[in-house]
Amino acid sequence: MSGQSELRSERIYLDHNATTPLSVRVQQSIQKNIENWGNPSSIHIDSRGPKTILRETRKLFAEIFQCSPLELIFNSGASEGNNTVLKSVWSKYQMEKNEYIISAIEHPSVVKSAQYLETLGAVIHWIPVDKKGRLDLSFVQHKISNKTALISCMFANNETGTLLPIRELSQIAQQHQVLFHVDCVQALGKEVLSLADLKIDYATFSAHKFYALKGCGVLFVRKGSPYTNLIHGGGQERGRRGGTENILSIASLLAALQGYSELAEKKKNMTVLRDQMESEILKTIPLAEVTAGLSPRLANTSSLVIPGVDGETLLMSLDLKGFSVSTGAACSSGNPEPSPVLLAIGLSRQEAQNSLRVSLGWGTTAEEIQTFVQTLAEVVQRIREANNFFIPNSSSENKVV
Amino acid sequence: MMNSNAEVNKVKKGKVLVAMSGGVDSSVAAALLVEQGYEVIGATMQVWDYSQCDITEGSGTCCSSIDVDDARSVADKLNIPFYVLNCEAKFKTTVIDPFVSAYLQGQTPLPCVNCNTYLKFDHLVKKMKELGCDYLATGHYAQIVQDDNGKSHIVTSTDDWKDQTYFLFTIQPEIIPHLLFPIGHLKKPELRKIAEEKGLTVARKKDSTGICFVGDKGYDQFIKEQVSSEILKSKKGLIKRYPHGEVMASHEGIHLYTIGQGKGLGMTYHEKLFVIKIDAIENTVWVGEEKYLMNDTVQVIEPHLLSDVVDGETLNVKIRYQHRGAEAKVQKNENGYLLKFTEPQRAVTPGQAAVFYRNQNTLVGGGWIKI
Repeated sequence: MSGQSELRSERIYLDHNATTPLSVRVQQSIQKNIENWGNPSSIHIDSRGPKTILRETRKLFAEIFQCSPLELIFNSGASEGNNTVLKSVWSKYQMEKNEYIISAIEHPSVVKSAQYLETLGAVIHWIPVDKKGRLDLSFVQHKISNKTALISCMFANNETGTLLPIRELSQIAQQHQVLFHVDCVQALGKEVLSLADLKIDYATFSAHKFYALKGCGVLFVRKGSPYTNLIHGGGQERGRRGGTENILSIASLLAALQGYSELAEKKKNMTVLRDQMESEILKTIPLAEVTAGLSPRLANTSSLVIPGVDGETLLMSLDLKGFSVSTGAACSSGNPEPSPVLLAIGLSRQEAQNSLRVSLGWGTTAEEIQTFVQTLAEVVQRIREANNFFIPNSSSENKVV
Repeated sequence: MMNSNAEVNKVKKGKVLVAMSGGVDSSVAAALLVEQGYEVIGATMQVWDYSQCDITEGSGTCCSSIDVDDARSVADKLNIPFYVLNCEAKFKTTVIDPFVSAYLQGQTPLPCVNCNTYLKFDHLVKKMKELGCDYLATGHYAQIVQDDNGKSHIVTSTDDWKDQTYFLFTIQPEIIPHLLFPIGHLKKPELRKIAEEKGLTVARKKDSTGICFVGDKGYDQFIKEQVSSEILKSKKGLIKRYPHGEVMASHEGIHLYTIGQGKGLGMTYHEKLFVIKIDAIENTVWVGEEKYLMNDTVQVIEPHLLSDVVDGETLNVKIRYQHRGAEAKVQKNENGYLLKFTEPQRAVTPGQAAVFYRNQNTLVGGGWIKI
């Protein structure tokens, strides 16, 4: 198009926790699967390709995450999955067991579902999480009782990248025979996860966080765990989720999963780049801090606090220079209030407003990170100058907390 | 990437942050800046949570941010970057809260000035600097001219009926050189024609009238939603005849009245009566004959000047947005300025601004009316 916008045309994408670009494998699969437009529920031959896609994807996913294919339900994504889990558990126990223990830093699809259950009579105990991303397990021990229906906690936080103590929670849940739900959205493609290893009753995933198309999610429901349909309809997914399956999107997940064996290497690569990036940022940008930087974290995520710099302006400035990053969760942008997650872990309003999230992906290169750090330092300096932000004469203040 | 000529041109012209409301005026402002070769960045201030308006979960569609969508679609059409800035908290404290409290004090507030003071020409100026822009542009009907000494002044727009300089008197003089009002030289029909020619979807959009956050519901309903019923009850009182004080009726709250109001007084009387003054301490609404609405002396408080005023200078003063302006002698005193009008003025209303002009069209400053 003539008069191309001021947005830099060669862009560097560092917002993989919001969504991921389509991998080459996925792009090729889309082209290939255009012919698979048939309805998988049909009897005639046109359903064969779509049926195969469903079967193969379910099988591969089950292999990777070590569960039974029958325990997997395809849906529209993790928001649907999280809604289904919380509402299913409520349907089963209602007021008989009406207490829920949920981490304070969950995705809105969990938070809002829980708040909805509250209106029906549920009692929610929000598990505190501190600045270092540590979840208060003693709180869980203290609150759990024979009224508890469910513990829900994400595998890793989307904003800070901190890993939550899933193993410990699963043990507590098991001891007390309480159902356990893990939102695994940020785990996919970043951390190894086995559903055989842990006593997890429900796990939720989204394909678009793993280099595949939007509109496809996977819900794991352990055999025997309570389940009620969120969407009633045809007999799809063994009657557990009505609606014709999103075959193209599911096929794209299959393609992405076919590259899953690269995870270990990609994870190593992302860790090296992320650590380099953080150490450069702390060196070049006075007063910058990494939130929960010393805590167990996802390999790809960096949550920064840069005093004197409004995250909103920083994001705009970086966007104009060709970098896609984020200030908080993408779902809430357009409404850039300080991130509830950052506030929940104890950052001040000001710190939350001075926050920037950088999330790397499988394709991120050392050159991209170098260019990014350089630009970030320039932009930060400009914004600070515009605001007459005073920097004490020492850069030893930089720290990872 | 852009070709190098365009690049050079843009570097020379500079980088502009343009405030886009989603209306036709600011859309054309953005379009003209692009045409003139500026590097343009569009921004909409999200100032009010429209989701709270009328729609709650489970009942119908959301009216939210249709204007934001319009602004975004214009930015797409112009192929310029576009951002939504969250200004809700600031808007609440600097515009909404004073608006509500002024009504409860029996005044008739002018929220657009506060929005300009604290958001458009403060928050956005800050954003302009942070983004490394040279200019901030808005779709106001106003113009900027330089005098022989190179000093920039704000002057009225070509379209007399649309002129919005009345709302701009609190602008800090030092930022005027960084402001652009790209549509100030246009008349509305010309502007709409440009919008049509440029294929902007908002070309035929209705002009916004009234106060943006109040919408169609009316300000009394808005205040009802913002204030507790106890407070509203405490604003009930009597309607008395001016000047002798005979009781005419009771009323449901002083915030429902404005100076000069002749309709909706809820009384039938053999002569035409108007609201003459509102006593917020006694909660009394005074009504009387039209002659009592006339005033030739007006006290102005919290004055703000864009250029110097000679004490006792005769300036043209507008006492409300639609006022044509009238000659007044402007005399400094301890509270601000005392205005002596050559001709008495009708319905001088506390809470509105008195805005000073020199030579009919140059904005000099202004202040808030207090009687």
